[in-house]
Amino acid sequence: MRWWVAVALIDRILKQGERRVDEVEVFFAEGIAVSADLKRRNVHIATRSEECGLGIRTIEKGRMGSSTTHNPKQWRECLDAAIASGRIATPQQWDGLPHPAALGTDFLCYDPSLTVDPQTAYGLLERMLEGSAEHEAKVTSGSATLSSTTEIIANSSGLRYTDRHTGVSVSLEAICEQSTGSEFAQSCFFDIDPYAVGERAAFLASHSAGGTNIPTGDYDVLLSPIAYAELLGAAFIPALSGRNVHAGRSRLAADLCKPIVDSQISMYDDPFRCRGLGSTFWDAEGTPTRRVDFVSDGVLSSFAYDLRTAYRFCKESTASAIRSGPNGGTGIGHHNFIVDGPRTDVADERVIYVHSVVGAHTANPMSGDFSVEISNACMMEGGEFKDPIRSAMLAGNVFTMHKEIGGISKEIRQIGSLVLPSIKLISQRIIGK
Amino acid sequence: MSGLPAIRYHDLRHVTGQATLIDIDNGVVESAGTSFFNRAILRVLGPRGWGILQIDNFSPCSKKKFNSLLASASRLAAITQQDVNLADAHHGALRVPAMKEDPRGVGIEEKTTLLAEIELAARHPDVVNRRANYIERSEQVVFSDSSGHKFSYEICRSGFNVLAVASRNGTVQMGYERVHSIRGFDLRHRQEYGKKAANIAVALLDAGHVKGGRMRVVLNPELAGVFAHEAVGHATEGDLVQEGSSILAGKVGEQIGNDQLNIIDDPGLSEFGFEPCDAEGVAVQRTELIRDGVVNAFMHSRETLAAIGHGMAGHARAMAAEPPLVRMSNTFIENGDATLEEILEVCGNGILLKGSRGGQVDPGRGIFQFNAEYGSLIEHGECTSMVRDVSLSGEILSTLHGILLCGNDRTMHPGYCGKGGQSVPVSDGAPHILLSDAVVGGSGAH
Repeated sequence: MRWWVAVALIDRILKQGERRVDEVEVFFAEGIAVSADLKRRNVHIATRSEECGLGIRTIEKGRMGSSTTHNPKQWRECLDAAIASGRIATPQQWDGLPHPAALGTDFLCYDPSLTVDPQTAYGLLERMLEGSAEHEAKVTSGSATLSSTTEIIANSSGLRYTDRHTGVSVSLEAICEQSTGSEFAQSCFFDIDPYAVGERAAFLASHSAGGTNIPTGDYDVLLSPIAYAELLGAAFIPALSGRNVHAGRSRLAADLCKPIVDSQISMYDDPFRCRGLGSTFWDAEGTPTRRVDFVSDGVLSSFAYDLRTAYRFCKESTASAIRSGPNGGTGIGHHNFIVDGPRTDVADERVIYVHSVVGAHTANPMSGDFSVEISNACMMEGGEFKDPIRSAMLAGNVFTMHKEIGGISKEIRQIGSLVLPSIKLISQRIIGK
Repeated sequence: MSGLPAIRYHDLRHVTGQATLIDIDNGVVESAGTSFFNRAILRVLGPRGWGILQIDNFSPCSKKKFNSLLASASRLAAITQQDVNLADAHHGALRVPAMKEDPRGVGIEEKTTLLAEIELAARHPDVVNRRANYIERSEQVVFSDSSGHKFSYEICRSGFNVLAVASRNGTVQMGYERVHSIRGFDLRHRQEYGKKAANIAVALLDAGHVKGGRMRVVLNPELAGVFAHEAVGHATEGDLVQEGSSILAGKVGEQIGNDQLNIIDDPGLSEFGFEPCDAEGVAVQRTELIRDGVVNAFMHSRETLAAIGHGMAGHARAMAAEPPLVRMSNTFIENGDATLEEILEVCGNGILLKGSRGGQVDPGRGIFQFNAEYGSLIEHGECTSMVRDVSLSGEILSTLHGILLCGNDRTMHPGYCGKGGQSVPVSDGAPHILLSDAVVGGSGAH
């Protein structure tokens, strides 16, 4: 759809909607993506995607309704469905959609030099394969994707913001004997290093080969940013959602202003982070974003709110509304969630290094208890990868492990909307085999 | 289309429909609405591999426009290197089982009222949160290919989840029940699921932790179904076998489990994973993955069948506009002849694990992990105290040999399976099974 056609359509939906309900919000996104996938070392599939999504939210006397469609020409049906949906919803305290604000006009996640074409994707795969050749491992699969999207959010309070996003991501999986390794990188800018991704995937597979079992016991464990992200996302971060807090689904609900993690650790959302994958001047409802300090020096200082939850519980929105995709609804989340604190050489002393875990999503999201299989694990000392561990489980609790921190690494890594260090945990239960 | 690479084959799969979602949270109707989807995928097989177009908001078009789409996909295929061939396969579509009551004929107001009754049934003094969701997805699928095959069908999946969160003295636990089906509207008179979720959540407040380690384990039918799915199903997917990511590659004809063990995948079964035909228009059929403990067959698409053989096509599945992947549908361990009482007696001392919080497998390493919703200690053949947060992990090849007994009480359970960024409906099932020497994860001291 031509862009001015989309703008005219949005105006029309707003006008039609305002005749029937108190307030209307329209979200429109359109984009393209190109990807190339490997089967072993050969390009197997090349794909071009054309995405289009329209979302409408209506509010009438505190009753909220919503609907989405892939087909903008279906907007009347979509508007009808949103209004019908609102009639069934329970009314709540509602103080209005955001008005326009003077915000930055830069596109924070947009690289005009990024070319969305198959040859560029092919070149990324070639570089990954070159990197993988540094170690004795066979490539099993891989992928490179480039994308460009334009989004508009507009509402009946006169707000209209346009944003553009680009993206590049690569991933590679390798195997050596019975040991697998995988690595990935993603960015909004054409600044990733596919060679390093290939090299790391092959290294992880080859280094893990020939691992041995270890006895059950308590060990100091170093979680890589990937393993940490898997566990953090499974139970800790959902407990910071204001909706979960007020609904009784957060273990942290009664802990505001109390120490909940090691006193040197802070956790915050920085929506303006340079080159952050989730950087934005406004959230999915159009509320101007700001830094949100969830945990300051170990003390729980804030929960995340969108407008809906904030109005309902007499709180202020933290501009934490996120959208699950061009055709998804909104929910509470974060933009660039950062774990910070004094950084040390956490791998100097002997630890069990865990690159990733199998089954983090099976953690108990209420209690935080988990027991997961560890992957690409090995002994580490002096920062060097030593004896690989064949198979073992790590059992613990996502909340209490944050009180057993032995340090965080100097290096950080961006994993989706998380920006994390490696984290050293003292005396964690490992179940050997 | 001169100058374009030759097109050996193409197919088009267009999916339209609507999804209705209702969310009730602690008595508040958070949302109750309908959204619409319209997505298509055009696959072109060039001289080597695939060129694919994924199109949102697709509409059937003129021959000229369609040819231009073919040309675009063909240009993409030009960068591929993998020699792809397609095995011959029987095409055809089963009739979608009739629904007892079509959910689309029930008003959203009535659905909301019925869901609210289930949510309200989870009330209990110790329950601090109740949440119920209704999900209904109705899809119209139209498939055609360059060999002249054309199929269209309509399928509606619907069901609900109910969650109860109990809290006491800083301990928070949950109970979760779900009912999903292709057999029609099933929200009426289902309050018992809300009560069950609440009762489990409250009981778990007083449950202990198990000390992790090796022990005898009895899996209930739901969890044993997840075990079959994670430990065997994924490793028998032809694409993983082809790329060298399965520990079962090269093991057809090899004994890998107890000689009474039979594991099947059957997309034609009238369960939540039912498919009338697969995403390549291929007729679906029952595939015996493990027969008498021996690796018998892999699940395949036409491409993976041509590449590695040993099995049957008809297992390619896809979300709307996503490329077909070799997937499970309805996967189960066949009944044995043991009763639950016999299984508990043979177990002696161990643990009975119930319900599933999901699982994951690394098929290349041959390592799987899954988590139970709760468990009971087994002492002298009797179930005693309740335990929580128990998981099980193991190695595919050794664990299957450790199946000592299969029960005679198989049931199927609905769920969703993720692979390659796609989530598709599945069902898993099994009778109770007894595992010897399984590795149980838990953080308890005793």
